[in-house]
Amino acid sequence: MATTNQFLASMARLSLSAPSRPCTSPAITSIPRFLLPLPGHASSQSRFASGAPRAGGVKKKDEKKKKTHKSYRSYDLSDQEQFSLCDAIRYARAFEVGHPPNVVKYDIAVKLRTVKNGPMVRNRIRLPHPVKTDIRVGVICPEDSPIAVEARQLGAVAVGEESLFASIREGKMPFNRLICHADSEAALKKANLGKILGPRGMMPSQKMKTITGNVRNTMRELVGADEYRERAGVVRMAVGQLGFTPQMLADNIKAMMKHVKNDIAALEDEIDKKIEEVVLHSTNGPGFSLDSTFKPTDDKITPEHLMGPM
Amino acid sequence: MPGVIRRLHKLKALLNVRHGPGAAILPPQVTRIHMEYAGPSNELGHMGPKKFLRENLPRLKYWNPATPMIVNRHNDNTIAPTLTIYLRDEDSHARYDDSTAGPDKAPTSTLSSAWDGSAKAPLPADNERTVTIEMRNQHSSVILKEFMEKTRAVPVFPTPREQAELDDIEALRRKGEVDRETVRKMREAQKREQALMNQAKSEAAAFKASTM
Repeated sequence: MATTNQFLASMARLSLSAPSRPCTSPAITSIPRFLLPLPGHASSQSRFASGAPRAGGVKKKDEKKKKTHKSYRSYDLSDQEQFSLCDAIRYARAFEVGHPPNVVKYDIAVKLRTVKNGPMVRNRIRLPHPVKTDIRVGVICPEDSPIAVEARQLGAVAVGEESLFASIREGKMPFNRLICHADSEAALKKANLGKILGPRGMMPSQKMKTITGNVRNTMRELVGADEYRERAGVVRMAVGQLGFTPQMLADNIKAMMKHVKNDIAALEDEIDKKIEEVVLHSTNGPGFSLDSTFKPTDDKITPEHLMGPM
Repeated sequence: MPGVIRRLHKLKALLNVRHGPGAAILPPQVTRIHMEYAGPSNELGHMGPKKFLRENLPRLKYWNPATPMIVNRHNDNTIAPTLTIYLRDEDSHARYDDSTAGPDKAPTSTLSSAWDGSAKAPLPADNERTVTIEMRNQHSSVILKEFMEKTRAVPVFPTPREQAELDDIEALRRKGEVDRETVRKMREAQKREQALMNQAKSEAAAFKASTM
């Protein structure tokens, strides 16, 4: 317990050194002498100054440095079960029984053997059989120009420049994709809509090829074009609805794989990326590693058995 | 992406969709199945149909991929949950163990499952008749039994190799249970000790503060 005993010694010394009469010096009158730090006493002392280990204390271990990996983990797939496409579909349909077929989607995950940093695979693809059918496009282009008329004809739901900006500011957005003609790029920059459009992923940009000189081509690409990108070494994308026939799904998967391979080839030469595994899964089912064959292994089942209403 | 091992364990569950109650091949007379029940709430005896859908119907679908099995889920508990079996007399419907017969050229109906009550049971076609099963307040096993009797479905049994795998999975599950119990006890003991320690510490601190 901290008592006054601890300070008695220093107090005693102080009382000896202090003058018997009050000092006239102004600095000392304001602060009592015994409160001032003593040279060579308490202030300069440090705990465990001798360097001896603390009695009974546990010495803290040096924290082990965590090993960091430069590339994403890859697995040995040799003893893993893999499935033909029709087998995977048969299982998926069994798991999805009772679910509305237009809600349930087939997704594909393409695992890449790749380093963690470096360029990523990212692109848009127009699948042979579009998965989403609810795409509504808005086009920013000079009002009442031939481009605007063309965009209307192609099925854009909102066309214009200032009128469109105004409706966006009001929160009226009847579209879920937005493209911008190159002539209106300056107006778009001036309109300052990044705060509204950015979070929704609808801000047109050169990088995403949504600022374009050719509205017709971009719109055709956009309707039924899906975006995919590599995240954590895996490219994921929806490739079909549950109602698709096995052949339709195969077409979509083939198109997608070809696209991804081209993307990898288009990256710089020294980047070593390889496709390691392709996994197909439905919304509520498990993932099936595909072995790139199509036919069902069960000879009593034909692909025709795997279509039709659920 | 989940690791290979984790996915492998999950895929072992595939045996579960192949074998178990409900694994049966329907005779060619059965053209389609329709079931209707109230989904979100389990009052008024809709639990049996729900469990039947979750546990038995996937197996049936696996073994009879060409047979439409339409589920109409709605919100109205007062409608009695029913299962309708559409039967046809001639042997022209595609089925699992009949590789010669092609599937139906023209599907009888394009109706598919819905969760908003819009997939009402269709009227039987000219050459069809229907058999219904009343599912209210029935256990799923009872429903399955009645279903098997009314359709005369042939149950599928696992091959010896599959049976061995099933046994392995069962053993793993039992071991997991034992292990979980052990770990739970260990953790509880640790927690108890920690709680005692904390209590003692706080009491000591309080005592110190009071004597100051």
